[in-house]
Amino acid sequence: MTSQQKPTPSSPNNRVKLVRTFPRFNVSQRWEHAVLLLCIAILLLTGLPQKYNTTVWSQAIISSPDRLNTIQQIHHITALVLSALVLYHLGKAIYLISRRKLPGDMLPTLQDVKDAWNMFLYLIYIKKQKPPFGKYNFEQKVTYWFLFFSIGIMIISGYVMWFPETITRLLPGGVIPAAIMAHSTEALVTAIFIVLWHFYHVHFERLNLSIFSGWLNEEDMHTYHSLEYNQLVRQPHSDQDPGDMKS
Amino acid sequence: MRPVRKYHFLYLISAIFICSLSAFFIFTNVNASSAKELHSITPDQVLPDLKDTGPIVGNNVCLGCHEQPGLTMTLQNGDILDLYINPDSYAASIHGQDGYACVQCHTNLGNYPHPAFTATDRRAATLQLTDVCIRCHSGEYNLTMDSVHAAAQASGIREAAVCTDCHGSHDVHQWTDTVTHKLLPNARLSIPATCSKCHNAIYQKYLTSVHGAALTEESNTDVPTCIDCHGVHNIGNPTTAAFRLKSPELCAGCHTNPAIMDKYGISTNVLNTYVSDFHGTTVTLFEKQSPDAPTNKPVCYDCHGIHDISRVDDPKTGIEMQQNLLVRCKVCHPDATSNFPSAWMSHYIPSPEHYSLVYYVNLFYKFFIPSVLGFMVVLVGLDVGHSIYTRSRRGKPHLKPPSVEAQPPVAIETPTQPPQIEHNIELIIERSERSEQTEQTGQGDQNEQNEQNEHSAQSKQNGHNSEEASHE
Repeated sequence: MTSQQKPTPSSPNNRVKLVRTFPRFNVSQRWEHAVLLLCIAILLLTGLPQKYNTTVWSQAIISSPDRLNTIQQIHHITALVLSALVLYHLGKAIYLISRRKLPGDMLPTLQDVKDAWNMFLYLIYIKKQKPPFGKYNFEQKVTYWFLFFSIGIMIISGYVMWFPETITRLLPGGVIPAAIMAHSTEALVTAIFIVLWHFYHVHFERLNLSIFSGWLNEEDMHTYHSLEYNQLVRQPHSDQDPGDMKS
Repeated sequence: MRPVRKYHFLYLISAIFICSLSAFFIFTNVNASSAKELHSITPDQVLPDLKDTGPIVGNNVCLGCHEQPGLTMTLQNGDILDLYINPDSYAASIHGQDGYACVQCHTNLGNYPHPAFTATDRRAATLQLTDVCIRCHSGEYNLTMDSVHAAAQASGIREAAVCTDCHGSHDVHQWTDTVTHKLLPNARLSIPATCSKCHNAIYQKYLTSVHGAALTEESNTDVPTCIDCHGVHNIGNPTTAAFRLKSPELCAGCHTNPAIMDKYGISTNVLNTYVSDFHGTTVTLFEKQSPDAPTNKPVCYDCHGIHDISRVDDPKTGIEMQQNLLVRCKVCHPDATSNFPSAWMSHYIPSPEHYSLVYYVNLFYKFFIPSVLGFMVVLVGLDVGHSIYTRSRRGKPHLKPPSVEAQPPVAIETPTQPPQIEHNIELIIERSERSEQTEQTGQGDQNEQNEQNEHSAQSKQNGHNSEEASHE
């Protein structure tokens, strides 16, 4: 399933080097990420021009009331898709919890705080080693949970803005302008976060496409997820063959 | 040879200096003299002497007949045209004061007997005569050509206002300051009454409005009259989408001017609070982008009223009362209930007193954005710095990962490490170049095998749960 063949130039007899790969994301998670990526891109592309409507670039996009109407409809439809995605994600989590099968890898722990501190010490040259990480390091957990709550705020405030008449049947009117404020500002925070934090870690620090391919190679596992790697390699399950690492 | 060159050089320098000096003086003199000329131009010198009635028929000649009261003429349709001119009221008019001659307007009446009267009724006479205004007032006259009144005239509505309907004919009064060309305060008082000659229903509404009441009852000239919103000569159609989109600016003309608003303790933040709300944002955006686009987004007058604008704290009609505002909201939001009007921040800038929720949300982000940004920039920046540092020292950083072998105790002792689920363990498949062709099918088999492994592992793990195991 996960063996990737890479011809090594050093081996003359057309032998292939076997790279062990480790599954990281299942198909569902990869699709969720792809849909999320698309949704957020479309929502930002259609939302930010509305937020910065006084700028020239925005007015080039919103050049007429019809355009604005179209943009808003695209925004609304995408928002519905994103809401469905979130419901699917939460529903799956609840299902897995009920079956006691939810892998707890993504839950924040005290160790993450320690890891972040040790990482900070490493980055300011006090420690010589990066802290060893499990399946998800603190940076990836920050990414997940930051976007989790961002999207939560965006969805709630978005629906409050969308259906003000219904909301004000239950809540005071002041929540509408508060939701508008939160929606547009949180969008900005989310956009900055994705570009500065997420893009840096998956594109610039190292090119990590495991969310698209589903797997990580041994070297990356060894380097970036040493705890998980150790657990997988050193404590193999009794009825499974640890495999031959040689080619 | 050399001294000669030196002299040449000196000569050149001094010549340039003198030339530039003289040029400077000449230019300044020219400027001064042209300015003087401009100042010295007065109407007396350039324009013909208007009081000089020399070659044309003097007013006394006309008044010889027309100052007799009761001089009338019956027109073809039976209208009686009054031909009497009150010499005193004409003398008091702006044209009389400046000594204009009757025949300067009544251009065809210099001789007696007068040529045959072509107008069939009184209105036709007015419409014929009002054309002569263009002879002196071409600017204003041409402006009126763009007005709704001219359009109505063109479409055959003869009652639509022409110059003399508003300004009068023989009793034209000075309405603007001769120097500043601004409307005189007294003129403001008479404008609504002038318009009311045709637009009486609107005038009655205006009288009850906060603006109209102040004008008519207190003679307050700070308030807008008809022309401040509708314009003067080129009065546009106020029912167009363009007028609607432009109307907030109209109101803002006075309502953002602290010189006027401070007298009455009215906020000058009304425009920016409106524009920062999404209704106003859309309206201002459309106004810039496509000024003719129709919009259902509210403008000032949708909530505050048009000619019947009342104080917001008026106990009966003021929209400070939420139930009064709700009526306005329901025009576009029919499902709105009593809480709904307060979704509009009533021109307040959010503060701890007004709309505290919005204020605190804003405050939160004022701290949240810089702290998130700062945190990320610091960590990313440090990471970049560190990777450059390690690369420069040891070559590529990922070739020397943190040695895992050195830290197995950490891995085992980590208490918070979540338990690994069996399916994280993968079979390692050895494959040769030859088997590459069958990789796809092999992969599918492998998937199945893997799933089976997974299931068996899970059922083992959850062995105590017989129900689940049977389900699996």
